[in-house]
Amino acid sequence: MIQVENLTKAYQGVEVLNINEMSIPKGQSFGLVGNNGAGKTTFFSLLLDLIQPTTGYIQSNGVRIDRSEEWKPFTSAFIDESFLIGYLTPEEYFFFIGKLRGQSNTDVTQFIAKYEGFFNDEILGKRKYLRDLSKGNQKKVGLIGALIGGPEVVILDEPFANLDPTTQIRLKQLIKSETKDTQTTFLISSHDLTHVTEVCERIVVLEKGQVINDLKTSPETLKALEKYFSEPLDD
Amino acid sequence: MQISDFLRLEWLQFRRAAYFQKGLIVKIFLAFIVLYFSATALLLGVGVFFIAKKTVPDVDPLVTVNNVLILWIVADVLLRYFFQQLPVLNVKPLMSLPVSRHRVVRFVLLKSLISFFNILPLLIYIPFAVVLVFQDYNPFQVLAWFVGILSISLSINFANFLVNKNNKYLLALLSLFFLAGTLNYFGIFDAAAIAGIGFNALYDQPFWVILPLILLFFLYRANWNLLFKGFYLDDKVAQKVTLAGDSNFTWLQRFGPVAPFLENDIKLIRRNVRPKQVLLASFMFLFYGLFFYTQDSYSELPAILVFASIFITGGFLMTFGQQVPSWDSQYYKLLMSQNIPYRQYLNAKWMLMVFGVVVSFVLSLPYLYFGWDIYAMIAAGALFNIGLNSFITLIGGALNRTPIVLNEKAKAFANTNGFNPTQLLIGLPKVILPMLLFYLPYKLISFNVGLICVAGAGALGLVFRAQFLTLIEKIYIKGKYKTVAAFDQES
Repeated sequence: MIQVENLTKAYQGVEVLNINEMSIPKGQSFGLVGNNGAGKTTFFSLLLDLIQPTTGYIQSNGVRIDRSEEWKPFTSAFIDESFLIGYLTPEEYFFFIGKLRGQSNTDVTQFIAKYEGFFNDEILGKRKYLRDLSKGNQKKVGLIGALIGGPEVVILDEPFANLDPTTQIRLKQLIKSETKDTQTTFLISSHDLTHVTEVCERIVVLEKGQVINDLKTSPETLKALEKYFSEPLDD
Repeated sequence: MQISDFLRLEWLQFRRAAYFQKGLIVKIFLAFIVLYFSATALLLGVGVFFIAKKTVPDVDPLVTVNNVLILWIVADVLLRYFFQQLPVLNVKPLMSLPVSRHRVVRFVLLKSLISFFNILPLLIYIPFAVVLVFQDYNPFQVLAWFVGILSISLSINFANFLVNKNNKYLLALLSLFFLAGTLNYFGIFDAAAIAGIGFNALYDQPFWVILPLILLFFLYRANWNLLFKGFYLDDKVAQKVTLAGDSNFTWLQRFGPVAPFLENDIKLIRRNVRPKQVLLASFMFLFYGLFFYTQDSYSELPAILVFASIFITGGFLMTFGQQVPSWDSQYYKLLMSQNIPYRQYLNAKWMLMVFGVVVSFVLSLPYLYFGWDIYAMIAAGALFNIGLNSFITLIGGALNRTPIVLNEKAKAFANTNGFNPTQLLIGLPKVILPMLLFYLPYKLISFNVGLICVAGAGALGLVFRAQFLTLIEKIYIKGKYKTVAAFDQES
């Protein structure tokens, strides 16, 4: 599904990302971990064509992301609050996203009805603007918004941060069932090793822009990751 | 924490604000604007005495000034109501620190005094008072007058915060002004003269200065109490939450694929402070013609009138349009990673701008009073706005990469944020071109042919609409990464 070739990104000569080759098959739940500044958000921004690669490229479903816009119809993302429109209510936001992905308001209403439990009665029908919701509730809206219209690739940056424990557990179930039922490819970055090992079948560790570990998740993965991150970084 | 520490924080906030992280040219330009305003105010302050002396020779100039002073005060009230920012409640980080509430509140109130709106009157009143002293007015009485007027100005400052943009007060105030104005006009009751008596009394019997001082003191205390009591997270410091009203936009569906964008733009304007300000400003543009059409000297120079006509219908088009796509800066990343064709996005903005021109044109109907020639000129200007200026403005906007915080009032000089030389150059044809298009045929052939040329250029622009949109689209695509990066920065 996603093919990375010789991808580098440098700012004023300082390299912040360098991925020689990587491929993510369809339907995989792909986890990205790494300390601050490891290049996770840079990688996601490149995947969404929000920044330009210095060298190399990413292909999604055969489409070169920096050359064509054909990847947009089957890709969705929630990176941060700049993916929300503050002056809309949650419903209006869902409808807007739905229209961009060819869904009628009725389709969207049916779709979000499935997630009533996830919203925990704090989001729908409250007539509040998104800018007035708490960080956690904003995140819930953004996450569900990213699922509207059945995208094939879903990119989520730090989806567990700011969520309450109940929602964290629900989100994990949701991602698992989506990958199983619909073959959606999830790309998830997280600082929470427990969550990410639980949801993702593959974990890539980035450090200073380099892939230094590429693991298939097994019962030992969490231990290995914890050991890796508790060791002092050698410069 | 001492006052000096607060001041240091303020200074850093000021120095490190985004609008200072600019190129040298923009800084010079900003400095120039500030100097210009200050110089104008100073000149006015010095000159007003002599102007009054010249226009009403047999009356004491101070009395003349006092008799019209109320107009300035009314303007001051309105200006402050619309444009003065409440002292920024950036006290949240201080709440959990060992700083007494008294100190913070006092600081916030004192800080509100350092504002463009309080410095401007000083620049006028001080030179005026100095001139008075030099013209052999009693210095002690001048001082009383000065302190009195200044107290009134500062009282407006504090009253404004108490009112806190409450529209009920505005309505009451406006009706009061309107009533007084009407009574004045029909000579039933001379409100300005009565106010004048009050201002004259400040000079004639200086003890009256006690009244404005008491007023100022009470308003200061009222603010103090309000802030002191409201110094809790869930009170004044908290953001106000408004609920969404029922909005039904099904009628927009007829616009097809553009509809969702139009719907969003309408919500954008209705639900955010900044676009509402722009809407108000563009309404003011409607009155632009009054300055020009009433002057006899301009009726000889119809090219100048064309200039005015462009602005009458172009207010919204220009003020809103030059900030496309900045309006969407807060969620630009979403738009850029969604399945959004630039063409539809631009089309929606364009339609909105055209709608603005049409509404302004309808509202400009009263200009018929000045005759058919003037109205035909406004009509030609409207067509030019729709057909050409809309696209020129969009091109300028595409080069403007200043993010906008939608739900915050514009700061003074905020409009210069988007200033860059290229944009200025692109903006010039918006007014120069129609003037030229009119002037040449007018000189060579006739008035009507001049108007036809202006209108014709607009119509021609409409014919090439698709080409214009393609051009703008290309600018967007070319600048995409730059724009995303620029909007990502906090303004």
